[in-house]
Amino acid sequence: MSRWRDEKASIFGDNSEMNLFLAVLMPFLGAVLVALASRRGRAFAAWCTGGVALLSLFLLLPAMAASFDGTTTIQRLTWIPAAGLDLAFRLDGLGLLFALLILGIGLLVILYAHYYLSAEDSLGRLYAYLLLFMGSMLGVVLSENLIQLLIFWELTSLSSFLLIAYWRKREAARRGARLALTITGAGGLALLAGFLLLGEMVGSYDLSVVLASGDIIRAHPLYVPTLVLILLGAFTKSAQFPFHFWLPHAMAAPTPVSAYLHSATMVKAGVFLLARLFPALSGTPEWTWLVGGVGVATLLVGAVVALFKHDLKGLLAYSTISHLGLITALFGIGTPLAAVAGVFHIINHAIFKAGLFMAAGIIDHECGTRDMRRINGMWHYMPHTAVLAMVASAAMAGVPLLNGFLSKEMFFAEAHAAAADWRVGIFLPAAVTVAGIFAVAYSLRFIHDVFFNGEPIDLPKTPHEPPRWMKVPVEIIVVLCVLVGIFPAQTVEPLLAVAASAVLQGPLPEHNLALWHGFNPALWMSVIALIGGVLLYLGRKPLFVLHDRLSGRLDARAIYEHGLRTIIDFARRVLMRLEAIGLQHQAAVLILAALILGSAGMLGAASPLTGSRSLLPVDGVSLLAVLTLIGATLAVTVLHRQRLTALIIVGAVGLIVALAFIKFSAPDLALTQLSVEVVTIVLLLLALYFLPPETPAESSKSRRWRDGTLAVLAGGGAAALAWAVLTRPANSIAGWFLDNSVTGGGGTNVVNVILVDFRGFDTFGEITVLAIAALGIFALLENLRLIAPRRDVAGRRWDSDVHPLIMATFARLLLPLALLVSVFIFVRGHNLPGGGFIAGLITAIALIMQYLANGVTWTHARLPAHTHPWIAAGLVIALLTGVASWLFGRPFLTSAFGHPSLPLIGELPLASAMAFDLGVYLVVVGATLLILINLGMAHSVSHEDEHAKEGPWKP
Amino acid sequence: MSPTTEVLLSLLILAGAAFTFIGSLGLVRFKDFYTRLHGPTKATTLGVGCLLAASSIFFSITGEGLSLHEILVSLFLFITAPISAHLLAKTALHQGLPLGFNITRQHDTDIPRMPIKDS
Repeated sequence: MSRWRDEKASIFGDNSEMNLFLAVLMPFLGAVLVALASRRGRAFAAWCTGGVALLSLFLLLPAMAASFDGTTTIQRLTWIPAAGLDLAFRLDGLGLLFALLILGIGLLVILYAHYYLSAEDSLGRLYAYLLLFMGSMLGVVLSENLIQLLIFWELTSLSSFLLIAYWRKREAARRGARLALTITGAGGLALLAGFLLLGEMVGSYDLSVVLASGDIIRAHPLYVPTLVLILLGAFTKSAQFPFHFWLPHAMAAPTPVSAYLHSATMVKAGVFLLARLFPALSGTPEWTWLVGGVGVATLLVGAVVALFKHDLKGLLAYSTISHLGLITALFGIGTPLAAVAGVFHIINHAIFKAGLFMAAGIIDHECGTRDMRRINGMWHYMPHTAVLAMVASAAMAGVPLLNGFLSKEMFFAEAHAAAADWRVGIFLPAAVTVAGIFAVAYSLRFIHDVFFNGEPIDLPKTPHEPPRWMKVPVEIIVVLCVLVGIFPAQTVEPLLAVAASAVLQGPLPEHNLALWHGFNPALWMSVIALIGGVLLYLGRKPLFVLHDRLSGRLDARAIYEHGLRTIIDFARRVLMRLEAIGLQHQAAVLILAALILGSAGMLGAASPLTGSRSLLPVDGVSLLAVLTLIGATLAVTVLHRQRLTALIIVGAVGLIVALAFIKFSAPDLALTQLSVEVVTIVLLLLALYFLPPETPAESSKSRRWRDGTLAVLAGGGAAALAWAVLTRPANSIAGWFLDNSVTGGGGTNVVNVILVDFRGFDTFGEITVLAIAALGIFALLENLRLIAPRRDVAGRRWDSDVHPLIMATFARLLLPLALLVSVFIFVRGHNLPGGGFIAGLITAIALIMQYLANGVTWTHARLPAHTHPWIAAGLVIALLTGVASWLFGRPFLTSAFGHPSLPLIGELPLASAMAFDLGVYLVVVGATLLILINLGMAHSVSHEDEHAKEGPWKP
Repeated sequence: MSPTTEVLLSLLILAGAAFTFIGSLGLVRFKDFYTRLHGPTKATTLGVGCLLAASSIFFSITGEGLSLHEILVSLFLFITAPISAHLLAKTALHQGLPLGFNITRQHDTDIPRMPIKDS
């Protein structure tokens, strides 16, 4: 706390100290790498994954070393300055502790997983998910910004979903993953709300500010809602009662995943948050009762249920819940010493629980089952593993000389000391001791049932010792358990001291990590727990009978599923009601609502409908065009049941609109309108082919009157609005664009400069949406086989000459000409009407012409069958153009321009925006072709079938 | 611009307009579908051709250098107009539209068809 390093840097700046950012980024990049590398063998994938984790650790080393003398390293990248959002990373003692746990245990898990997974399972996929998760977790513990922390928090939920559902063919895995995602995701939402409130209170999302403003937060009227929301997030993540039930179901994951998620990471994120916000939120009665109460309840529930689980991992799952409750309870007690004990137990639990899960995985791996009623007497089959598991289990029970004993005794001492403050008398120490008794009992059961208790019953495999290197991670962990247990002051003390002082953000209280503190209440509680646990285990038989009779009465998951079903049923019923009325009625309701609201607003306004602007005189040509437009629109309405005729008139409407654009000096819009018109007509013709040419009249007379009235009123309203707006003097931003187009964007075509420069980011979003839409349509059309009519309306067969020779020949001749025009329109786009969008449409039309004239087979032999790569290339080019401006230290999508002169061609207006426009062009061509060709393919398939069946038609 | 070019341009524009008008008139006045095809395809091509020539000359004289866009436009026109005429005629033959019969005055079902041999 004595010194601060706050560094600002840009991504490509000369500041080399962006290690925190890179360390968090590394696993994400590594995930991609490993997914690719796994093709070159399992060992290679394991080495790559381990290398990535080591690299992250290496990158963190400088900041880690600094944090040991109390320095908090903060590094930030400007991200969205307007929203006060930076990418900010922070490494202090607490971050150091968690980063070490995440990466250290991560490395052990990587080694272990290599031997655990069978040859059929994809190791690369597991490693990729594991690295994604590792990166997300590092992001959580190293975030300085709260919103950023939340983003990583949600990423841990998502990546843990992938990990839990790793065996995706198993239903239990999918259900467990979904359950975990729902609970932790919902908690994440609550957490977001809590963080937003917190940010409002202190005026910043920076942790440094928040941690220093504890007094403001606690005195704020919104303190309680904020606290409850944040605790919801922490409790769901850390599987605290009553949200604990997702954790046992997450045991459907492969054991290495459980060993990682439920020892050092996922569930520890919740208690990390409690520790992180401890200085800001703790110290009030609300905190004590909520956090302490929930912690103690979880401690008891977890410990009691764990004893009765026959599944090896189920026992460990509930014991994890219980230990998380213990840590939560310690933070709930709220004294500095309790916080130290909480941090200490985080370390100890992470270590021994990882070892226990790995041992359970070895047993499962070797026996083919996890049922403790069948796995017995393993001592004879795998003595080495048995010793390791026993030591870890004893640490979990809190046996002296092991690390679990130390933190548990600190917990007993704190519980005893807090009893006086909480005014709960004997209750707290008693509850804690009872939990301790059960912890000893279930640890004992784990040892006795699995390794002794007679001979194994009906195992699928004959167990033996696992491969040598599978035991190495467990051995390392067990050595740590013993070392910390016997020499705490020499091993764990420095780490604990920096982590705890980071939690407290203040001076560290006097604490003494030693085995022997004399005869104090805590020691007696430990003794009672140990002896009571042994007695409880000896007398377990009647308890199991009782448990079997009671089980199934109160299943939290059943309640959850019932609640979920009720909500889904309700949503479905509402939706059914709304959908049952039909699309036309829905539209009618929508328009009516808009009409009522709009007229209420308009009639309520005092200003006149007609504004102050003087009207332009009407000239003959415009009048004629407008009258034709009105006539055509009316004709479409009248003739809409004759689809082909209606389509032709719609085309006429489009042409007149294009003329109107030209008249009012919008040549770009006119060009776009024209090309869009062509594409639309082709699209509609392809669709109409499958429909009968005429629709029968289906609506009743009254309904037609109702719809007609609605349409006239709504259309009139829109016209009145347009009138009101157009007759008023406009103060638009157009002037600014006109003034700055040449100086700011290097082009005289303002429309194009707006598209590719001033509003380039919007355009980028739009082409992305276009690409997604095209892919969506492709997915819908891909395997579509429609039944086409065999004859036309008069009963005639189709002409067998599908591709007339003249048409085919001339269409080929037209292609280079059309492409020439397209290039011309593209190149001049920055200064004269044109641009990538229009050029793209023209190219698309030219290519579609080839499909229409020459047929799909001929064209496919000459053009790539799929245009997805074009779309991808377009998006990449647009993105790279945008990113390139970073290289010059400019914001995303800043354009550069120049006018180089070339021999023969003359002066060539070049702008970097042109590359962006090329991206737009490629996306438009790719998307248009993708949609039209695939619709046409459905068409041609149905057509060919017909000819194959009936032979060519001869008149 | 000299008076001679002005006269030339005016003549071209007038000729273009006249051809376009005649073409449209033909579309309305001719007896049956096949003769009507002549109107838009032949006369309109000539009409728009004259207008394009006028445009080319005008912009070549007043603008900077030769204006050749119009040549490209007429190239497009000359390629596409025969194709569309061909396709229309082909469709009419396929549908068996009769010669010398004005379809606009009749209801669709009353049109006498050329015999269709259904295999």
